[in-house]
Amino acid sequence: MIKTPYKKPGFWQRLRTGNLTEAQLAVLLLLPALLTLAVVMLYPVLNVLWQSLHFERLNQPFRGTPFIGLENFQKILWGQNMTWSFTHLPLARIIGLLTLIPAWLMMKRSLIDRRSALLWTFSIIIIFGVLMGFMPGEGGRWGDARFWNAFNVTLLIIAVSVTGSFMLGLPLALLANVKTRLKWLVRLALLLPWAMPRVFTGLTFAWLFQSDYGVINDLLGRVGLNRVFLQVLPASVVSDYGILWLAREVPAIIAENIAIIWKSSSFVGLILLAGLQSIDKSLYEAALVDGANAWQRFWRITLPLLRPAIAVALIFRTLTAIQAFDIPFAMTNGGPGRALETLGLYIYKTANGLNIGYAAGLSVALFILSLSITVLYLRWIYTDD
Amino acid sequence: MTERISLADRVFLNIALVLVIINGLFPASWLMITSFKRDAELTRRPITYFPEHLTFDNYVQVFTKNPFDLFLRNSLIVSVSATIICVLFAALAGYALGRLRLPGRRIIMTGIVMTSMFPALVLLVPLYRLFSGVNIPWLSGLWFFPDVVSTPNLLNTYWALIIPYVALSLPIATLILTSFFQLIPKDLESAATVDGATRVGALFRVIMPLSAPGIVTASIIVFVNSWNEFLLALTFNTSLNMRTVPVGITFYQGEFAFPWAIISAAVTLGIIPLVVLIIFFQRRIISGLTAGGVKG
Repeated sequence: MIKTPYKKPGFWQRLRTGNLTEAQLAVLLLLPALLTLAVVMLYPVLNVLWQSLHFERLNQPFRGTPFIGLENFQKILWGQNMTWSFTHLPLARIIGLLTLIPAWLMMKRSLIDRRSALLWTFSIIIIFGVLMGFMPGEGGRWGDARFWNAFNVTLLIIAVSVTGSFMLGLPLALLANVKTRLKWLVRLALLLPWAMPRVFTGLTFAWLFQSDYGVINDLLGRVGLNRVFLQVLPASVVSDYGILWLAREVPAIIAENIAIIWKSSSFVGLILLAGLQSIDKSLYEAALVDGANAWQRFWRITLPLLRPAIAVALIFRTLTAIQAFDIPFAMTNGGPGRALETLGLYIYKTANGLNIGYAAGLSVALFILSLSITVLYLRWIYTDD
Repeated sequence: MTERISLADRVFLNIALVLVIINGLFPASWLMITSFKRDAELTRRPITYFPEHLTFDNYVQVFTKNPFDLFLRNSLIVSVSATIICVLFAALAGYALGRLRLPGRRIIMTGIVMTSMFPALVLLVPLYRLFSGVNIPWLSGLWFFPDVVSTPNLLNTYWALIIPYVALSLPIATLILTSFFQLIPKDLESAATVDGATRVGALFRVIMPLSAPGIVTASIIVFVNSWNEFLLALTFNTSLNMRTVPVGITFYQGEFAFPWAIISAAVTLGIIPLVVLIIFFQRRIISGLTAGGVKG
């Protein structure tokens, strides 16, 4: 009798006989999902990084796609002709750089005591930015003015709308948890803003805020506020029929933020609702026995235990706020003029103008911005516990 | 809870609830009211809060001014196919991540969650190029490929939207399904394998039916995400006949004129499917969003 040595079955044989090990099967099952993510997420990000180093205009194909290094970013930061120089205002810059050193040291310290890392990182970034940008060299300008305007508008939208959506979302979550006969209606009211396409939200609020025939100006007029506005506000932003919401810069950014807050508070509310439902009810009963009033229970039990949910909502809210596109597009399309263009709108318009290379550079800038914010948040969440 | 709620508190609570309902439903309802008004009534002051003459003319115009039925069809085809593909992929991945022993499971999970933090805006330019056809230099010139090999031009096809929508919703769908699969007791699956089913067979015959709520949840969320997506649809599918509902609606406005009555009728039509979904699947949607959110 010939003894055949035992040979471990190979992958293909196992696949044929339906005898895969668990790990092999797992990899096989993961393959479609991971491949999709690789093609649609990973490849484009790498591609856009590579492309941001090139010149490309689809409407000028004869110029080819030459490699231009970091020129796109130089254009974003310092403008077409780089005039920034260290010798301009040297004293101010040196003093500024010196202040960076203690700030850096403090940040490293704060990473050890893990308290204020977020604050320090932000302040270092701001000081660095001020040094590099707000003190440009001879005749220098702050780079691509349109980009920096979009940058500021986006930051403003992030700051206002994230705060606002929490201020609206938390009460929504608390009230959605209340037992009433109208619960289904409350939940519909909570879910509708989430489910409504952002463009529709933009269009809806554009109509609500319409200055001549919009319902908001009408209601304000009925309360008698329009007459007050005429007295108090500068003449350029008010008409007889109320505030010119979408036609003027400041009212328009307020209106856009209100629309974004309305839309996103629902998402924040849902995440917080989940957090609320996971809180152990017996804690409240114990607190009741100890004689804590509703206010104390909220501050001492609800809010601390809601922290993970708040963190999750905060991250996703900020990341969507960075990409603000649909609602500004539908409401004013970056107007009046270009005053309220967000980064998203600027990238879209640049790409639509067929300046693909520069659009790629802008996308990378946006990517860096969102990545750094994510990293800061994650660090803040994971170091603080 | 044993605490009594005083009358004042109850009144306050009810007022707050009414405010919540108004806040959530007023904008959409106002649009619906607008859609039943005549054009002349819209540009008149003081504005009317209920239409004086009910008219359905705006709804007719929605379909005659633009091929709105085509928009609806496109949206439906794209969203439904994206949902089916995405949930299928997510179910396979969720089974692997939730029920199989796999080294590095946590890292893969984190990686998938991380991709949901990618700004979709960054994908705009590279995906546009990818879908407009890219040469693959390392494949071109090999003996079995005749000339320059390039990917097909997918712009203005359904695939240009289906592929990114699948990818964009894949992370949250995977999260939801993984957490649902983990809840199913191990015994049921081993019973099935003892009865002669393969593991993949057990996935489709035992686990998927048992986690039907999870699948419904994931499907709804993927569907809503795909139905609502705007930027990619606006950029990739530019021909009139390939537009989706959100994109199509923005094209009713002219250079200077804003036909608000027609736009609001179109928006109302676009929202109705979503409202129906919400009313029927409230609890599922909330549980799904929260499962995805809190774990991530």
